[in-house]
Amino acid sequence: MTWWRSRWVVVPTLLVLIVLGWNAYVWTHDGGRIEGTVIDARGHPVPGAEVILYARSFLTNDERARTQTDGSGHFRFAGNASHALQLQAQAPGLGRSDRITLRLLFAGEDTKLRRPLRLGAAS
Amino acid sequence: MKHPIRHAVMIVVSVLMLLPFYWVIRTAITNDNIYAYPPHLLPRDPHPYNFVDVWYLIPFPRYLLNSVVVSVITVIGNLVLNAVAAYALTLPFVGRRAVLLLLLSCMLIPFQATIIPAYLITARLGLLNSYLGLALPMLSTIICIFIFKSAFESVPRSLIDAARIDGLGEWRIIARVLLPLSRPAIATNVVLAFIWSWNSFMWPLIITRDATMQTLPLGLARFLSYMEDTTGALYAFVVMVLAPGILVFLMAQSAFIRGLTAGATKG
Amino acid sequence: MTPSALLRPLPPGEGRGEGDTARPSPNPLPKGEGFLGRRRTRQSALIACFLLPSLAIFVLYRILPLFWNVVLSFQSWSPTRPAHFVGWDNYQDLWSYDDVFWQALTNTAIWIAAAPIAIILALAIALLVNSDLRGAAVYRTIVFLSYPLMTVAVGIIWRWMYDERGGLINWALRSAHLIDKPLGFLGSFDLALPSVLLTDIWQVIGFYMIVLLTGLQSIPPHLYEAARVDGVPAWARFLRITLPLLRPSLFLCAVIGLLNSFTSFDLVYIMTNGGPGHATELLITYIYKLGFGQTRFDAAAAVTVVQFLLLLVLTFLANRAAGGNAGAIEH
Repeated sequence: MTWWRSRWVVVPTLLVLIVLGWNAYVWTHDGGRIEGTVIDARGHPVPGAEVILYARSFLTNDERARTQTDGSGHFRFAGNASHALQLQAQAPGLGRSDRITLRLLFAGEDTKLRRPLRLGAAS
Repeated sequence: MKHPIRHAVMIVVSVLMLLPFYWVIRTAITNDNIYAYPPHLLPRDPHPYNFVDVWYLIPFPRYLLNSVVVSVITVIGNLVLNAVAAYALTLPFVGRRAVLLLLLSCMLIPFQATIIPAYLITARLGLLNSYLGLALPMLSTIICIFIFKSAFESVPRSLIDAARIDGLGEWRIIARVLLPLSRPAIATNVVLAFIWSWNSFMWPLIITRDATMQTLPLGLARFLSYMEDTTGALYAFVVMVLAPGILVFLMAQSAFIRGLTAGATKG
Repeated sequence: MTPSALLRPLPPGEGRGEGDTARPSPNPLPKGEGFLGRRRTRQSALIACFLLPSLAIFVLYRILPLFWNVVLSFQSWSPTRPAHFVGWDNYQDLWSYDDVFWQALTNTAIWIAAAPIAIILALAIALLVNSDLRGAAVYRTIVFLSYPLMTVAVGIIWRWMYDERGGLINWALRSAHLIDKPLGFLGSFDLALPSVLLTDIWQVIGFYMIVLLTGLQSIPPHLYEAARVDGVPAWARFLRITLPLLRPSLFLCAVIGLLNSFTSFDLVYIMTNGGPGHATELLITYIYKLGFGQTRFDAAAAVTVVQFLLLLVLTFLANRAAGGNAGAIEH
């Protein structure tokens, strides 16, 4: 009964397990939700700011969705289907934020921005 | 440590042989503009996102599927055709020596000397741009036939005679008696056929018309020609393409090397 | 598998009847079955069945194309009109008017001439690995790792290494202060061919090493012992014992090296596509361009025939140089 110890069984089995495990992780985390906050130049959260989501390919960035921040400056996107994005926030009178690039491990990964989008940074 | 000089020389040689691997992996995971000078020896801000880009932005799964299908067809065809041909060559028949000489002389004809007519023939057969057309020229290889022949001939005659007396048909003799005793030959054949088919570039280049039928080497070449980006995506693609080949090789080293040198020791 | 294994002269006493080789002849049929007995014909039919698919493939994709190439090279082929015989015209055009052909021929000759360098390097490595070095198996794997890789990928990797801006080689040379400005290896008329050759050597040296290693390991050690006891110095042991007994392996390496110059299509296509100009054009890339770029199948066939004849002649010469009979050792 040592046939199962041969490398031709162990390695493919390991690979299959890794693939299955990864797929399970992807399946549970692919809601396409992007969350973050927008702050102004002084660090206060900005309600009602507009956030634009762009989808990146090798050559182009296409706008995909827009949303507004809620009362505490949070915003959420749902249903993102891309694996590489750009986000930019703007609010009247407070300027725009830098366009930041977000690269995900798989399309539609649920992510929370680590740093808030800061208005007034871009020209 | 004995032989410090030899070790030193071999370490230098090993570094030189492994350097390209390291360089491409480093380029694939680095975040820099890869054309920035001076290039950093160690990757800065390593990240796996180039691999994600390759997965989604080019039809890597499709190329992988095509390569796998063609390789599987080639390996199975090789095993069956080579084994039966080798068995036939161990039996006496009229013109056996002529057939052997014919096969030997065919070995001298490299594939590259046949590409134009092979293309015309495959077109006539209507097999352009198809899996079978991709696999057909490699469906049987002379080297592997001789490997099987040697393996079959080293099976004790008494076993085969006993099987014949028991009334086993020829096909059964191959399947039940000869093949189980020729496992190294089978392993070698599988590995060689897989590697040749997996790596083959010129024939798919000539035969395929649609982008959906392209195999991995073609996909790689196509990516090279239309993408001149500054990220490491192309090199991530290279890493993804090389990984299965290296894995199979590391697992099947002994069979592979044994197969390649099967003649050299007997020569 | 070397041809020598099967073309070795028969030991005296054997060789009766067709179908015999140096091995003991296969068991004759049990007595009582005539030559035209039912069992024999059924077995013959079965043998034919077994051989037919493989032979069909070889005929279809090796022999037939070779002859078709020869025929094509004497015709004028066009996709619209049926081909007609034109005699030596294609060859005449190649000889007199086709500079690219001569360039490709020269490049191929250079490529072949570089094979001995690779073989010598591989021999050195094999000798080192063969000695009782600890971890020899690891070294062997590392050196051989480059061979089973996809040549397209190898081409891309080395193309990147030769790059002027991000390439490792330029950076290493500049860091060592050997050059001031980056060299455009693959874009230079002089450096392109050696650069691609270096990549090819990197990839193929593992294979030479394995063949030579196998040959080295089949030399009986008692020969060395006897020589050492007799006081023969190491270099003489190498020249008198090792080299002659390595002849079959060296012949195999030489044949592989020959074939390598004809089969390096992938590497050249990816790295330079024959450029700059035609500095790295090989016969095989020229055949591809003529056939599938310009659809001049007749010219491509002529170049193919030339290439094949060159291969035959060189193999024959290598056979003679190895002592005849594919280098097999006559006891």
